[in-house]
Amino acid sequence: MDAVTYPEQKVVDYIMDHLLPVRIPFNHERYSKEYSIEWTPTLIVLDSDGKEATRSTGFLSPDELIAFLHLAIGRANFAAGNFEPAIKAFDYVAEQFPKSAFAPEAIYYRGVARYKHTKDAKPLREVYDRLSVDYPEDQWTKKSYPYRLIA
Amino acid sequence: MGTTISWETDVEKAIARAKTEKRVVLLDFFNPG
Repeated sequence: MDAVTYPEQKVVDYIMDHLLPVRIPFNHERYSKEYSIEWTPTLIVLDSDGKEATRSTGFLSPDELIAFLHLAIGRANFAAGNFEPAIKAFDYVAEQFPKSAFAPEAIYYRGVARYKHTKDAKPLREVYDRLSVDYPEDQWTKKSYPYRLIA
Repeated sequence: MGTTISWETDVEKAIARAKTEKRVVLLDFFNPG
């Protein structure tokens, strides 16, 4: 991450514009245990109340990191019930980073957030339709399988 | 020459700022070598 991803200017700009970044040695006496750190790099995104929204372990390229972080912002808003900003964040990941490993998860949660926001089940069906075509082997496609039954 | 990421080292301070500024916190657990 230090050699490839963090020096990229777009990564610097993204992180400084959107997050409060904190670095912690993996063997920190308190936080390693508190956050159950098993390997490095481990990235954890906390919502504005300090609760964990999501995490990733292992190297991420610059685009993958930005996609992950934006997905995490969406997940933090989703968990807080802020569905409109969550949908906007998921939409950004899905449409701007379609080749990212995080795009299918963004599409999945975008549909779920739309459903929770509107109580209309149609977006869940759209999740399956989109994922089954664009990411047929992805785990999020398999998780959306029951939604194919929604009319 | 571009800028670099300004990493904080104080988790509690970052969480307090996050509450005030309604932002999210990125924790990077790294191997200092």
